[in-house]
Amino acid sequence: MENVLVTGAASGIGQAAARRLARRMHVIVADRNADGAAALAGELRRAGHAATPVEVDVSRGESVRRMATEIEAKVGPVHALFNNAGFNRRGRVEAITEDDWDAMMATHVKGMYLCAQAVLPQMCARGAGAIVNTSSDFAVMGVAGIAAYTSAKTAIYSLTKSLALEFAPHGIRVNAIGPGPIDTPLLRSGRAPGEEAAALEQQRQRIPMGRLGKPEEVAAVVDFLLDRRSSYITGQIVHPNGGALSW
Amino acid sequence: MDDSNPGAVIVSGAGSGIGHAVTRRLLDEGYGVSAWDIAAGQLAGANDPRLMFSSLDVRDKSAMDRAVADTVDRFGRVAGLVTCAAIFKAKPFLELDESTWDATFAVNLKGTLLACQAVLPAMRRQGGGAIVMFASSLARSGAVHGAHYAATKGGVLGFARSLALEVATDNIRVNVVSPGLTDTPQPRGNMSDQEIRAKATQIPLGRIGTPDDMAETVMFLLSDDASFVTGQDIRVNGGAGLF
Repeated sequence: MENVLVTGAASGIGQAAARRLARRMHVIVADRNADGAAALAGELRRAGHAATPVEVDVSRGESVRRMATEIEAKVGPVHALFNNAGFNRRGRVEAITEDDWDAMMATHVKGMYLCAQAVLPQMCARGAGAIVNTSSDFAVMGVAGIAAYTSAKTAIYSLTKSLALEFAPHGIRVNAIGPGPIDTPLLRSGRAPGEEAAALEQQRQRIPMGRLGKPEEVAAVVDFLLDRRSSYITGQIVHPNGGALSW
Repeated sequence: MDDSNPGAVIVSGAGSGIGHAVTRRLLDEGYGVSAWDIAAGQLAGANDPRLMFSSLDVRDKSAMDRAVADTVDRFGRVAGLVTCAAIFKAKPFLELDESTWDATFAVNLKGTLLACQAVLPAMRRQGGGAIVMFASSLARSGAVHGAHYAATKGGVLGFARSLALEVATDNIRVNVVSPGLTDTPQPRGNMSDQEIRAKATQIPLGRIGTPDDMAETVMFLLSDDASFVTGQDIRVNGGAGLF
């Protein structure tokens, strides 16, 4: 059985992807939230799947390297990577602090670079591998009020394309997903009390399909992009977004 | 999707190339297939109870209306439409005659519109469906000696996105596959084997696409795995030309 590393696996899209991928792979459930990772891995194991929890802060190189060592010892090689850890913080551009900006870039962009760097040498040695990075619809559209988040998501799209070109000769594919509004804790986060319902309704109204997406619907796209079914697809961003944006 | 009756998928241009690979794959996965082409081509002599062939021209709307009715009679429902019918005769731009221009647009773009118009009433009646249209990498990159073809495929992108928006609330999803250079008879009409081999070395994944690569993505887009994916263009091109 092949092994897949899923970061940000304790909630939202990462959690749905871990559950979906567990149907066919050993899932390494990685999250900053160690309890959440352990709980999900336990749930998957009880359902008869193979899963191993690991704690990691993807924004720190030392933490990612420690995770890589732990995975090698406990699980073995990483055949596929779903680079998904992320968070959102709202604030107009003039209110973004340098710390906020740095944290956003560290978790999203640097975290993906560090995790990819941790697994690519062994993928190259095998001449096979697949990586999917979580970007966003916002990577190609821009949104007022979350400039740091959208900048990070666009950087992820660029990183994806460059990695795709650099590692294609080694038989490794690198793609991104660009979800639209998906009903996850992240979408609900950072709203003033009492404003959550109105904010979600506003998001829903921009979706041609007339509803928010489910994490499972994004997970199905991730599964496709990590699978042999997409063996001629690399460097692309696929948008599960209910038609909110065509690119 | 109702597992007991997956229904039928209509495939235009089913007699050769990508359309033929899509047809074979759909049959393997248990779908009925209503295969459309001017000539049976590679489907000649095929004997599968779930395969129904209609000899028709995608410029002929009334023929497609009849074929949709026959499909519903035979299979109960139309789960999907995959439009593969296209023609491409490479011509230097200054030698591009009006009849080549018109024929390319009539088949590649208007034929796609008419096929959708023929199928949509049935999909609306049954409460949903999925459409996959074939565009081309050339829609975005352009092509020397291929202005007319690239223009039709760019038209397919615009048409697909608009249709996706228009039918999203009818539970009908519309997506596009844009293949890169693919191992079918089509490029061999305009390129030598040597030219095709030379192109392959410039593709990041080191090979040209296969009809099966395209069929895999069609299967994904038709399936419930793509239930929140509409209005998208999936570029199955080995990483060639990322933009």
